[in-house]
Amino acid sequence: MNPDAKKILLAGLIFAVVYGLLNSLSNIFLLPSAPIISFRPQIALPMAVGILVHPLAGFITGFAGNVVGDAISGFGAFKFWNWHIANGLMGLIPGLAVYRHIRRIDTVRAFGILQGSIVFACAAGVGTAVVLDWLFLHFMTFPASLPSWILPAFLTDAVNGFILVPAILLIAGRIVLTLETRTILMITGLLIASILATAGSITWAVLDDLVSHGAMVQNFYIAAIVSVGLLVIGFVAAVVFVRKMTAPLAALGRAAEAVEKGRYDLPELAAVSARADELGRLARIFEQMAGKVGERENSLQRQVAELQITIDREKQARDVSDIVDTDYFRALKEKARKFRGA
Amino acid sequence: MPEIIAIHSFRGGTGKSNTAANLACLLARQGRRVGVVDTDIQSPGIHVLFNLDPKDAAHTLNDFLWGKCDIGRAVYDVSRILGPEERGKLFLIPSSIRTGDIARVLHYGYDINLLKEGYQQAIEQFALDYLFIDTHPGLNEETLMSIAIADTLLILLRPDQQDYQGTAVTVEVSRALEVPRMFLIVNKAPASLCGDALAAKVAATYNCDVAGVLPHADEMMELGSSGIFCLTHPDSSLGRAIDGILRRIET
Repeated sequence: MNPDAKKILLAGLIFAVVYGLLNSLSNIFLLPSAPIISFRPQIALPMAVGILVHPLAGFITGFAGNVVGDAISGFGAFKFWNWHIANGLMGLIPGLAVYRHIRRIDTVRAFGILQGSIVFACAAGVGTAVVLDWLFLHFMTFPASLPSWILPAFLTDAVNGFILVPAILLIAGRIVLTLETRTILMITGLLIASILATAGSITWAVLDDLVSHGAMVQNFYIAAIVSVGLLVIGFVAAVVFVRKMTAPLAALGRAAEAVEKGRYDLPELAAVSARADELGRLARIFEQMAGKVGERENSLQRQVAELQITIDREKQARDVSDIVDTDYFRALKEKARKFRGA
Repeated sequence: MPEIIAIHSFRGGTGKSNTAANLACLLARQGRRVGVVDTDIQSPGIHVLFNLDPKDAAHTLNDFLWGKCDIGRAVYDVSRILGPEERGKLFLIPSSIRTGDIARVLHYGYDINLLKEGYQQAIEQFALDYLFIDTHPGLNEETLMSIAIADTLLILLRPDQQDYQGTAVTVEVSRALEVPRMFLIVNKAPASLCGDALAAKVAATYNCDVAGVLPHADEMMELGSSGIFCLTHPDSSLGRAIDGILRRIET
């Protein structure tokens, strides 16, 4: 086995044990009737392992971890094997999206891919589990399982991953704080805070048995789904907005690179300098500055060219000897000597 | 010990006459007695700078060279152009601008011994400290004579390739003539060029002292060939540069 594969397997198994223990803990101390979005932070573990170590390590953590958790909890190690695959996919998919392709999460685009892959992984994982159950296991009943099991599983994992994976990647240094990532993190934080407020109030209402009618519970489900939908829409809108805001800076960066490489006409700034705002002003000043630098550079190059003195030494020697090697010149030289001697 | 200073350039239009006139005026202003000879017999011109009307010049260098007159009669006092502060004296020995006279000298030539004798007499008769020789560009026999007679040779060049090549020939020929002191002067240097860097480069290329780099001055252009720039614009960058050249060649 090659050393990389060994490392992946080892890391996957170690984190699987941790994940399994955490899973069994939350199975034992199950928050009573927290129906929509539960506190299940450990889901971030296979995702982070997939991104930071290797997608396959992420898969192993999710898959094997779920086996361990079920075994400890007394569910039977392979009874709900479809959920092992679901957890494996949640570790695998973000890893596939980010591990190799995005070494530095320093743009809104990269951050969007990260968060998108997390939500997608949860949907794909839960979806796979549901399909496998429907094909082979038949534990679930439709549509009764949808609000009681399927949706809570998806929403819980998606929201937990959405919040915690960026936090882990920030600590690991994989998310680099730039103007773009700072802005999107801030907006994401605000979105999450509003979602948690909704989730918290629902949970509190259910815990306190304020809501006993099935119809009201149904309404809360809808509220939860809407708020998670808003989270996704809000996030996408934020990505677009932040990119619009920071695109001029990226253009300025490219223009600065162009100047560094000695190109002083900057068509890439045309769109930015047409803006009426502060960035437009900055771009116009930058264009003027680049123009001045270009002029100075040209004049310097002219100077260097003018300082080149090339003399054809052979031609010089010929011309000199045409004059010096004549009787007239020799006579003149004699006379000059006499004048100066006198 | 009076000094004969020849000003030469390989090509025309380098500003020889102007530079010679300016240096002569500066020296005269400092109280020296200075003569200027126009040996550019083919195309005389320096008299214009000294406000000497050719019609007033009954005798010229040409007349002396043909033995028609004593050198002293071809010497004109032009000190009045120095202005009221004049302390020294400025004399001009013009060449004839009559085409017949020009053709005759070119056809028959003249003898270097006679020329040297004439200079000597002029120096003694007018008690000159300096005698500037304004020459015709190129390296014909007459200019070689001027170089052979000179104690100090100033070679003017502009910073362009043709001047660089021709100056290389002039410098070598002058060395062969064993000129005691030789300086290069770069004239009409564009403002974009750094004077010191250019001077260093020229000095290294020709292995010859550079007395100064004169900037291309628009004021000089406006002035054309009437008047002496150093007297009208002493504090301009060009005026100061010419002053610097003088201090270099005086020591």
